[in-house]
Amino acid sequence: MWMSVEVNGHIYEREVTEHWTLLRFLREDLELTGTKDGCSAGECGACTVMLNGEAVNACMVLAAEADGATVETIEAEAAKGELSEIQAAFARNYAVQCGYCTAGMVMSVRELLRHNPKPTVAEIKEGIEGNLCRCTGYQQIIEAVLDVSGQITNETRGGLKYV
Amino acid sequence: MSDTTTSSVATRVGDSVQRVDDTAKLTGGAMYASDLVFAGMLHAQVKKSPHARAKIVAINTSKAENLPGVHAVLTGKELNYRIGLYVADKDILAKDAVRHFGEAVAAVAAESLDIASRAVDLIDVEYEVLPPVLSQMDALDESSPLVHPDLGSYDYVKASFSPQPGTNIPNITKIRKGDIDAGFAEAKWIIEREYTNPSVQHVPLETHVAIVEWKAGDEVTIWSSAQSPFTLRDLFCRAFKLPHNKVRVVIPHVGGAFGGKAGIHLEPLLACLSRKAGGRPVKFQATREEEFSLLPCRSALTYRIKTGVDADGRITAQKLLMYWDSGAYADYAVNVTRASAYSAGGPYDIPNAWVDAYTIYTNKPWGTAYRGFGHVEFFWGLERHMELVAQVIGMDPLEFRKKNLLKPGSTTLTGERINEHTGNPLKCLEAAAKAINYGRLTPEEEERQARTGRRIGKGIATLHKAPAMPSFTTTAAVIKMNSDGSVVVNIALTEIGQGTATVVAQMAADRLRFPVSLVKVAVERDTDKDPFDWQTVASKGLLLTGNAVIAACDDLLRQAYSDAAQVLRAQTADLDHDAERIFIMQRPEESVTFAALSIGYVYPNGNGIGGPLIGLGRYTAQGLTSLDKETGQGLPALDWTYGAHGVIAEVDPETGEYKVIKIASAFDVGKVINPGTMRGQCIGGMIQGLGTAQCESYIYDGHGHLLNPSLTDNKILTSKDLPEEIECIAVETPQLDGPFGARGVGEHPMISVAPALANAIHDATGAELTHMPVRFEDVWRAIHNKQPIDTWVTKAPAV
Amino acid sequence: MNDIFKYRAPTSRAELFSLLAAHGEGAKILAGGTDLLVDIRSGLVRPELVINLKKVEDFSDLTWSQSEGLIIGPATTVNDVLHDAKVRDCYPLLADCALTIASHQLRNRATVIGNIAHASPGADMAPGLLCLGARVQIASQRGRREVPLKDFFTGVKRTVLSHDEIVEAITVPPGTAGSRGSYRKLKRIDGHDLALVGVAVTSKDGAVRVGIGSAAPTPLLIEGLTDADPADAVVAAAREAIRPISDLRCSKEYREYMIEVFVRRLLEEVR
Repeated sequence: MWMSVEVNGHIYEREVTEHWTLLRFLREDLELTGTKDGCSAGECGACTVMLNGEAVNACMVLAAEADGATVETIEAEAAKGELSEIQAAFARNYAVQCGYCTAGMVMSVRELLRHNPKPTVAEIKEGIEGNLCRCTGYQQIIEAVLDVSGQITNETRGGLKYV
Repeated sequence: MSDTTTSSVATRVGDSVQRVDDTAKLTGGAMYASDLVFAGMLHAQVKKSPHARAKIVAINTSKAENLPGVHAVLTGKELNYRIGLYVADKDILAKDAVRHFGEAVAAVAAESLDIASRAVDLIDVEYEVLPPVLSQMDALDESSPLVHPDLGSYDYVKASFSPQPGTNIPNITKIRKGDIDAGFAEAKWIIEREYTNPSVQHVPLETHVAIVEWKAGDEVTIWSSAQSPFTLRDLFCRAFKLPHNKVRVVIPHVGGAFGGKAGIHLEPLLACLSRKAGGRPVKFQATREEEFSLLPCRSALTYRIKTGVDADGRITAQKLLMYWDSGAYADYAVNVTRASAYSAGGPYDIPNAWVDAYTIYTNKPWGTAYRGFGHVEFFWGLERHMELVAQVIGMDPLEFRKKNLLKPGSTTLTGERINEHTGNPLKCLEAAAKAINYGRLTPEEEERQARTGRRIGKGIATLHKAPAMPSFTTTAAVIKMNSDGSVVVNIALTEIGQGTATVVAQMAADRLRFPVSLVKVAVERDTDKDPFDWQTVASKGLLLTGNAVIAACDDLLRQAYSDAAQVLRAQTADLDHDAERIFIMQRPEESVTFAALSIGYVYPNGNGIGGPLIGLGRYTAQGLTSLDKETGQGLPALDWTYGAHGVIAEVDPETGEYKVIKIASAFDVGKVINPGTMRGQCIGGMIQGLGTAQCESYIYDGHGHLLNPSLTDNKILTSKDLPEEIECIAVETPQLDGPFGARGVGEHPMISVAPALANAIHDATGAELTHMPVRFEDVWRAIHNKQPIDTWVTKAPAV
Repeated sequence: MNDIFKYRAPTSRAELFSLLAAHGEGAKILAGGTDLLVDIRSGLVRPELVINLKKVEDFSDLTWSQSEGLIIGPATTVNDVLHDAKVRDCYPLLADCALTIASHQLRNRATVIGNIAHASPGADMAPGLLCLGARVQIASQRGRREVPLKDFFTGVKRTVLSHDEIVEAITVPPGTAGSRGSYRKLKRIDGHDLALVGVAVTSKDGAVRVGIGSAAPTPLLIEGLTDADPADAVVAAAREAIRPISDLRCSKEYREYMIEVFVRRLLEEVR
C-alpha cells in the first residue's frame, strides 16, 4: 500500500508492506532503530512511540494504519543535540542501565507528563506500568520523573545509605 | 552533554558521577546488535522441535530449498561439530535425536525474515516421539532414559568436573569438611527439609541476537549480544578448529544479559549458514518466545538440607544435597553446581560439613549462568531452613543467624580462613534488620494492620558469594592518551547495563587525577583490538578489571613522567602532575602539558622524543587453587561479598495475596566507587530477585511442552509491583587487594531476596513455604493447610 | 509478524460491509488491534484480509443521552471510557473495569467493543457491562439486530456474530446509570496481567447483579438477586453458575475460593 506518514517532522511517502507493523516500518524501512523490539506482543513497551500524540506500542499497530498520521520517536526527543528535560532527568538519576527499554520509557513519561505535569508516585507507576525494565528495578526512573516534574524533596530523593 | 574542557578538578572514586553511556542510550543513538544491518545481509530462521524427546526419523528440506530468496538450508546431519563450555555435549542442530522442547533441528538463511519464516514452515520433520524424563529426581533413577547415552565419549574439563558415564549425571561436586558423623552426634536437634526452585528466564529486554559472516579464507566476523567476547571466540575456534586470529568478535551495546548471554549460543549456527550462503552476513534475533526454549534458562534445584544444632544454638554439622536440573545440556550448569557446592552453607561457621552436588540431565531447555550463579536458588532453601531451624529450637531467627555467622578466624567449607578484611556479614545483617525494625511492629504498622485486616510480617536473610571462575582468571586494560590530553580505555569487559564503563572511567580518572570527562571507555568490544578478558560474569569485573585499569594508568603515568623528566631536565622523583600538566614540585611553573607529551614531545627545533603514551595493565586472580575432587578443599574465592536483606510484607490471611511494604538490603562492597550506579545495581537485583520470588517460573505439561514462553504468562515485575519503600545500604570493609578497596556486587542484590520475603510471610501468617516462587495461591494453600500444587515441574494439567 | 495478509481501510459502512460479505471467514476486523495482531503473530488466526474499521466515517463515538444511555462506538478505546466524565459519573464500574486492562499504551489502542467481541472468558469489560445490562448492536449488509450482552457469548472466543457482521455499538441503558458497584480482579502481579478471575457486583434499586470472568467458557451474569438476599445465597448462586478450570495461571480450587471471597467483599461494599 502506498502511504504518507509524518515521522519526527519529516514526511515519508512509501510503499508499505501491508502485514508489517509500525515497529518494523520504523526500524526496517525508515531505519529509525532507537525504537526497540522487546516482545512484538504488546507486553514490554520497548517499542512505545507517539502516534498522533498518543503513546502506543508500535508492535500493536499496523504500519498501514499510520497512513496520514503523525509519529514521534525517541530520535526526535533531543532537539538540536540537547537532551530534553526528561532525558536530562533520566541521566541525573541513573535511570538508564542497559538502555534497551529507555526509548519506550521516555515516550511513556512524556505521555504521562503531558496529561499530568505533577504526577504522584502512584501515578508515575501507573504511567510506566506498560514499560518493562529488567535492569533498574524502576525506582531511579520514578525518581527521574519526580525530578523533572519538580517534586524532588528530602523524602523522595533516593540515595545510598552508608553504615 | 558532558563538558570536556572546563573542569580540571579530578574525579574521585566515591563521587556520584553520571553514567558515561546515558546520552547515547537516551537518544536512541546507541547501536545494539539488533540494530545492525550490513550490505548483503541474510536473515535466519530456525525450525524447532515441538517435542521434548524424540528420534528424528527424516527431515525434508527440498521445498524450503526451492523457495525463491532462500540461500542456505541446514540440518544437523551436515554439521559435525560439538559445542560445550565444560562438557562438549551439544550439536549445533539436533542430529538424530531432540532432547528438549524448542530445540533447533533445521535452519534457513534467506533474503528477508518473511521468506525465511515461510521456508522454515516448508521443512517437514518426521519424529518418533519418546517419553521424556522431566524431573531431575526421576532422571537419577536407574530405569530413567538417558538424555546423553554417549556421555562417556564427550570431551570435558577434567580439572573441575566429573561426568558419570551411563547415567544422567554430567558432574558431581563433593565437599568434605571436618567429621560429619561426629558433628551430628554433638547435636541436640537435627532438622532436615527439602526446598525446590523451578527454572526461570533471564528476560533481558533485548533477546539474543547475532550476525555472523564467514568469508572465503575462513575470515569470520561475529557481531553479537554476547557478554564475553573472548570466551565466545575461543569456544567458537575450538569447535571449528580455527586459529584465533581468523575469528573476530565484536560486541556493541548489549540490552541486558544477566548471565544468559555468557558463553556461546547462536553464533555457530549462523556461521554455518553464512558459510553455506557464500559468506554473506547472516542475522538472527530470537523472538521473545524463542528466548525461553531455543535459548537457555536458569536451572531448577532440589536442595535437601540436614542441620545439627547444639544446646547453645550453634550449628554442629550440615549435610547438604543439591540436585541441579541441567536440562538437556551441561553448559554452565556443571559449574553452577560446583560454585554452589563450595558456597552451600552460606556465610555461616559450619565445623562439619558434607556436600554432594549433582548436575542432572533432563529433557528440558538447558540451564546456564544467571545472575547469582546458583546462589539465588540454594539460598532460597538455606535461608528458609535457617528460619525453620530457629523456630524448632525456639530461638529468634536473627539471634540464631548472628550466633552462627562467619567471623575472623572461621573457615569456609573449602578451608579458607576468614579474616577482618574479608568483609563483615554481621554488620550487613544488623543494618538490614534495623532498617525494617525487625522483631516488632511499629505503632504505624500496628495501626495499619488493624485498619486493613491484613497481617504484617518481617523477615531477614543473609547471603554471600564469591566469583565462580578459574583459579587463574586474568584480564588486561590499555589506556591510550590522545593528543589533547584526554584518554581512551580499552577493555574487553562488556558494558551490559551494570555500569562497567562508568566505574572504569571513574577509577581511571581517580588514578590519573583527571576529571572523568577526560576519560572515555571505548564502547564496542572487539577481540581484534581489545586486550584479553576472560568473561563478563561472576561479579569479578570490578575487582580484576579495576586493578588492571589502575596498573594501566600507572604505566601511562610512568611513561609520561619519564618523558617529562627529560623535557624538564629533572628526575621523575621531582615531578608531580595535575589534570593538564606534569610539573616540578618545587617550581610548579616549570611544566609540560600531557597534551604536549601525548604522542611524543617536540622540541622547538623540531626534534622529537618519547612517543604515544599507552599504558598497559594486567591483573590475575591471586593465590586461588583448584578444588580437590574428593574433599573440595582449596581456595576458590577471589573475594566474598556479604549481604543481607530485610523485608516487610503485608498478607491478606484470607486470600494469600500479599505485597511488599519495604525491602532494605545491605552489602559489604569494600568501597563504593559510584553511589548512583551501585544503588542502581542493588535495586535492579533486589527487584529481579523479588520477581523470581513472587511469580516467575517455567511451567511444563507432562509431555515436556513449555506452557508459558511469553511475557503474558511468564510475568516479570512492573513498576506497580515495587515495594512502597526500598533502601540500599553500603558497608565498606576494604578488600585489601581490591581496587580502592572495592569488591563486586553485581549479582548479590538478587540473592536471598526470596527467602527474606518468605520469612516475612511466614512471620505474618505462619505459612511454611518451601517452593519458589511464592505465588498468592501458594501462600493461600500454606495458610489454609492445603496440599501444595506443583505446577512448575511436570505435573501441570495440559491446557 | 510474518503472516502475510492484505489490508483495507474502508471509509463507509457500505464499503466495509461489502468487503466483509465478499471475504467471509478470511477477513478479520481490526479495531484496536491489540488482540488481533497478537493472535495473527502467534498463528491463532490467519486472515487473508485485515479490515481497519477506524476510518469508517459514520460510526458513533462514545456518547450519552438521557433516552438511550451510553453508546460505545467501534473506535471507542478503553482509555476513552476510562477518562469519560459521564462514565465516571453514571457508570463508575466501567471505569473500574477499564483501568484493570493491560497498560496505558494498550488502553490507548484497545477498544471496548474489541474486548467484548474477542470473547475471551476473562475479558475485563464483560463483568461490568453484563451487570449494567449492556446490549450489543450488530450490523451487516443484511441489516441490524440487537442482542443482550448476556446472550452474545457462545463459547471461548465465540459469539453470535456471523462472518459478515460487526458490532457497531454497545449500549448501556440509562436505567442502570448510578448503579453502585465495583470490580475485583485476581492477578499474578499488581502490574498488567490477565484476570485469573474477575468479579463485578452492582446494586441498583434493590436488584443485585454479579458478573464473573475467567470462571467459565464465557463471562457470566447472575441476575434475579436482591438486596434482601443474604450473602450466602449470593455466593451459592455464583458457585452454582461458575465452571472454572485449572490451568497454568491457577487452580480451579483457588478460582472457586477467590470468586466467593470477591463476591462477599463486593457485596459488603455495594450494600
